[in-house]
Amino acid sequence: MHRREFLKGGMALSAGFAVPGTIGLLAWSPRAEAADLSIDLSARRGDVTMIDGTTALMFGFSATGAMSWPGPTLVCQEGDSITVNLDNTLHTPVAFKVGATNIRYQASAQNQISFTFSAPPAGTYLYYDDQNNGVNRIMGLHGTLVVMPAGIKDRPFVGGPQFVRQYKWMFSNVDPAWGEQVRNLGDYQVSAIDPDSFNPRYFTINGQAYENTHEYNTELMGHYDEAAYVRMLNAGGIVHAPHFHGNHVEMVTINYERFSAPFKNKDAVSMFPLDVRDVIFPFKAPPDAYPPVSTNQIQHFPMHCHVEMSQTAGGGSYPHGAHAPIVMGAAPQTESDLTRKVDELS
Amino acid sequence: MSRNRDGGGMGGGCDAGITGNCGLHIDAPNTPNRVTPDVEFFLNTFMQGSQVINGVEVPIWGFNMDGGMGGGGMGGGGGGGGMGGAMPSPPMRVRQGQIVHTHLNAMAMMAPHTVHHHGIEPDTFNDGVGHYSFDVLGQYTYQWRASQAGTYFYHCHTNTVLHAEMGMYGALIIDPPSGPGTVYEGGPSYTVEAIWAVDDIDMNWHCLPWDAALCGGDAGLNDFNPEIFCINGVGADLSETDPSVVVNASRLDRVLLRYIMAGYVPQRVRFPQELGPIQVVAEDGRPLPQIETIPAGGEIIMTAAERYDLIFEPQQAGSFPVDIDFFDFRAANGMLKPIGSIRTRFNIS
Ligand SMILES: [Cu+2]
Ligand SMILES: [Cu+2]
Repeated sequence: MHRREFLKGGMALSAGFAVPGTIGLLAWSPRAEAADLSIDLSARRGDVTMIDGTTALMFGFSATGAMSWPGPTLVCQEGDSITVNLDNTLHTPVAFKVGATNIRYQASAQNQISFTFSAPPAGTYLYYDDQNNGVNRIMGLHGTLVVMPAGIKDRPFVGGPQFVRQYKWMFSNVDPAWGEQVRNLGDYQVSAIDPDSFNPRYFTINGQAYENTHEYNTELMGHYDEAAYVRMLNAGGIVHAPHFHGNHVEMVTINYERFSAPFKNKDAVSMFPLDVRDVIFPFKAPPDAYPPVSTNQIQHFPMHCHVEMSQTAGGGSYPHGAHAPIVMGAAPQTESDLTRKVDELS
Repeated sequence: MSRNRDGGGMGGGCDAGITGNCGLHIDAPNTPNRVTPDVEFFLNTFMQGSQVINGVEVPIWGFNMDGGMGGGGMGGGGGGGGMGGAMPSPPMRVRQGQIVHTHLNAMAMMAPHTVHHHGIEPDTFNDGVGHYSFDVLGQYTYQWRASQAGTYFYHCHTNTVLHAEMGMYGALIIDPPSGPGTVYEGGPSYTVEAIWAVDDIDMNWHCLPWDAALCGGDAGLNDFNPEIFCINGVGADLSETDPSVVVNASRLDRVLLRYIMAGYVPQRVRFPQELGPIQVVAEDGRPLPQIETIPAGGEIIMTAAERYDLIFEPQQAGSFPVDIDFFDFRAANGMLKPIGSIRTRFNIS
């Protein structure tokens, strides 16, 4: 028995909370069965403030009617069907493609389209505009689609590893010069931007850098042995190499290839543009500590990209770049939106 | 060693001296819960080194090692006093289960530094990440215990983007309790070992102060365009002959190559057909659940800070080239763009 749920962007955000994109999760009702879901998205442009105060003009998919980047994280389960009502406010065509699938729809400049697709197999997907050799995506037209296995909330797919919490880390890069070209010459000028001219100055995870990643959707937090599932996506235009302190991570999926236990362990994960890799951060006591860390000791570690240029903002200000904090030994005050929404799915 | 370097140079007129301490937590505390170590290393910073790499005199910073614990050899330079030193810094080698003290003495140019043992996971206080604990000006003793045999490295984690580029890194090897000859407990054995730390250098970054743009401003540290490539600090002019890089073995040997990706831009390593299949036995200091075999003539693409432990059982005699290609870290259109390469050799008798 299917129900239709209309999910307006205004419902997806906590009232008055102004962080763009990163918390724009759809609001779901608890349910045990597949559903027909829909969301209103707009493609738009707007100024985004970087961590050093610099303003960059970007594009974004928004569920709120205001500029938002990255796009909202869409959560569903296998069997669901998803209808997107896409309002393209830009003066240039916008595509909505779901990575690793045939799902692709295109709206011409300043036009509205609706389309419906079935949820792909359980996993983490980048949805993005694939036009202009990566330029549209890097300009900000990207977001995450998470498909959970039907009725299972603590594994990423049937037979996958168990976790306590889950997170999504979307890596993006900003080259303000590209935004200025669009600002000066018009939206349609994205097609004239040479991807080889890309020289990014800002590097973000979930749209945030360094200190601003101390927020409940990006900061990994948990008691010891409370495994976290981290869905990493590279929507940017550089090669990233997320490096974890505190624990090695277990490689669960690499670009939709699923692995089974025992997993390969890594402390530095390759993330080429468009890569999607899911890992388990096991929250084990740091193995090389002496004396050993006890379970009532809180420990703080960074995850940072080891392509160290990504640790800067505006050409300096180390370490104000692609970083996420890890706190071991305590539960978060607020569970991540992804954890909560998935809890409500089944 | 035939390394082409200038151990006592003055670094080409660069002034790396103190100008500020923005965002840093400078300290030199006592080590909490300090115990008697099983093994210890004494690292002194230097910031006025220079090393000739591929014919270019490159200003470098790094760690010198006192006390002869490192033993020199492959994977890093020897120690040396004074203001200069070598890139990479000397290797550390310990055994699984040992309690390690890494004594950092950071006094050169009155600049703070740290030691982060990359892939080692100690407590926060001993992790050597300046912005999560403290940057050391003076002395600090990092205390940790080696839990897992494998290939690691260590590097400074103060203004890391610059300090690691300047050469403040060295190999860190954990042997199993039985010592060298086995990759990890119950793991594969080897008779010849090589350590390669492969790096990329952008000369435009090598005349900056230690705290370049830490307080804001634009030092160009987002824009990395390396033009010099090196293996163990040896450039392309000598990398096919330098004994610290070239692998010499016989057809009876099992060769372990510990590959440390010490650069920032992606590297593709192409192994010649004649070396036979490549066994990947460990990555990032962790045994693989199952040894993976790459067919003869295969290649591996690596990104920053990965380590690969590879075993070869060559069946043919000869001198065989290994080529490493480097690519721009920017790949907006999805294509990796080659920017340089370096070649070395396996000489099999
Ligand atoms: Cu340093
Ligand atoms: Cu590191």
